[in-house]
Amino acid sequence: MLTALIVEARKLNRSLALLLAVAAPCLIGVFIFFNMLRGKAPMAWEMWMGSSAGIWAFFMLPMSVTALTALVAHMEHGPKAWDHLRALPRPRWTTYAAKAACVLLLVAAMSLLNLAVTWGAVRAAATIKPVLEPTGDLALMQHLTVVGRMWLAAILLTAIQFWTAMRFASFVPALAIGIGGTFFSVVATAAEAGVFFPWQMPVNMLATEAWRVNVALGLGGGLGALVLILALSHLSAREVR
Amino acid sequence: MAAIETRGLMRRFGRHTAVDSVSMTVPERAVYGFLGRNGAGKTTTLKMLLGLLKPTAGSARVGGVDVAADRIAAARKTGALLEAHGFYANLSGRENLDLTRTLLGLPAAEVDRVLEVVEMTENGRRRVSDYSLGMRQRLGLARAMLGAPPVLILDEPTNGLDPDGIADMRRFLKSLPDRTGATVLLSSHLLSEIEQTATHVGIVHEGRLVLEGELARLKADQAPEIALRVDDAAKATRVLRGHDLTVVAGDGGLIARLRPGEDHDAVVAALTRAMVGAGVGVFAIGARARSLEGIYRQASAPDAVPARSKELA
Repeated sequence: MLTALIVEARKLNRSLALLLAVAAPCLIGVFIFFNMLRGKAPMAWEMWMGSSAGIWAFFMLPMSVTALTALVAHMEHGPKAWDHLRALPRPRWTTYAAKAACVLLLVAAMSLLNLAVTWGAVRAAATIKPVLEPTGDLALMQHLTVVGRMWLAAILLTAIQFWTAMRFASFVPALAIGIGGTFFSVVATAAEAGVFFPWQMPVNMLATEAWRVNVALGLGGGLGALVLILALSHLSAREVR
Repeated sequence: MAAIETRGLMRRFGRHTAVDSVSMTVPERAVYGFLGRNGAGKTTTLKMLLGLLKPTAGSARVGGVDVAADRIAAARKTGALLEAHGFYANLSGRENLDLTRTLLGLPAAEVDRVLEVVEMTENGRRRVSDYSLGMRQRLGLARAMLGAPPVLILDEPTNGLDPDGIADMRRFLKSLPDRTGATVLLSSHLLSEIEQTATHVGIVHEGRLVLEGELARLKADQAPEIALRVDDAAKATRVLRGHDLTVVAGDGGLIARLRPGEDHDAVVAALTRAMVGAGVGVFAIGARARSLEGIYRQASAPDAVPARSKELA
C-alpha cells in the first residue's frame, strides 16, 4: 500500500495538483488580507481565523476536493492507463486506496496551509496598518482542532467525489456533482437540514450547537469512511472498458 | 505445458458475443500471431487473458495458472503492451518505467536494461509528451518486459511505427524467444506482419477461432495452388473447371486450388495439355506457395468450418 502511495505521489510530479493545493488556500489569504486592510478598528484573532475557516469549509474545501479528485482520476482516464494499472500483479484496491489517500492527504495539507496563510495575511495586514493589530489570543490549538474536524467531516463528500470521478471517464459528472453540492452549500448555509448534506458537513464544525457538530462529524467521518470503503470495493471489482 | 491455453472462452456484451468458444493453445517459446480483422474479438480475448475482462464462460490459463482463479499469479507471468499505452505525458519515459518498476518491486537497474533492449536509452530522460507514436510503442514494449516475464501479450505492437520501425520490431519480436526464452502472443490485423514474425498462428473471425496451428505446417498441409497467366481467362476457367478444380481470380491471372494429396506435377502437365488443346494461350503456369493471406481468406470465408492444423494434417 505504501508503494502504491509513493507511486501516486510521484505521478503528481509536474502536474497541476500542487499548484492547486497552494493556490486555493492562498486565495483565502489574499481575501483576508485585503478585507482586513479595509477595516478601521482592530478585530480579534478569533474573527479572522473563524472567517477563513468558514470560507474554507463551505466553499473552497468542496471545490478543491472536486478539482483534486477529478485531476487524480484524469491522470488515468486521460491516457487510458487503467488497463495497464489493473493488469499489474497487485491487488487493484491498493491503486484506488492510494489515490484516495493522496487526495485526503493533500486536503489535510491544504487545510493546514490555509491556517498558516491566514495567519500570515493577518500579520502582513497588521504590519502595513498597525492600528489593525488583532486582539486576543491566536488560540492555535483550538483552530487546529476545528480544521481537523472539518477534514474528518469532509470525508463523505470526498468519498462521493472520488467515487464519481473514478467511475466516469468524463469529468462532467464529477464536476456537476461538485459544483452542485458547493452551490447548495453556499446558498443554503443556514439551512437546518444542512447538517445532513455532505457538502455542508465541514462548515457545521463551526456551529454553536453541539449536536450539529457531532452529527456532521459522525456522518461526515463515519459514513464517509464507509462510503470510501464501498467505493474502493466497487471500483476494484468493476470492469473498465 | 502450453504458455497460454484457453478452453471454450466466451465473452458477451449484452446480446453481442464478442468472443465465442475460443480454445487456443500457445506453445512455450512460440511467437503466436493472433490474426483477425478489427472487431473480430482479438483485444477482448487478450483482455480476458490479462484478467481485465471476466469471461462469460470458459477458462484461460497463463503459464498453467487459471486467470480467473488467481489473477495476480497469472499476471506475474505476463507482460503486456496494450493498444492504449497509458503513459503519463508529464513524466519522462524513464520515470514512467520507474513507476511500474516500483509497483512490481524490481531493482532500479531493470529500467536501464529494458531501455537498452528497445534502444531507447538516449531518449529515456525526455518527457513522454515529446515522444513520437513509434517511441511510445517501444517504451510500451520496454514496460512489458520489466521483470522479464515468461509471457508477453502484445496488442498490435507495430501500430504507428514507420517502415523501418516495423522491420525492427519484427526482427526484435522474432528473436525474443531465443534471446529471453519468452513466449510472445501478438495480435494484429496485418497479414504480412504475422506471416513474417509468427511461428504459430490463430485466426479469429467474428469471435470464433477458425484456424490455429504452426504456420509452416499450416502452409505445408494446405493443398497447393497453381498460378496461371493466360490470354483468355474465361476459356481457361472452363477448362480448369472441367478438371474439377476450384478457380479464383488472382493477381494478374488465375489461381487453381488443388485438392490435398493431388500430384502437383501431374496436374500441371494435364492442365497445360488441356488448355493448349482448347486453344488457350498459356503465358505462365507454375506452383504457387500458399500464403497466409490465402489461408486467412479461406479460414475466414463465410462458409468456413472451424479447423485446427492437426485436423488438416
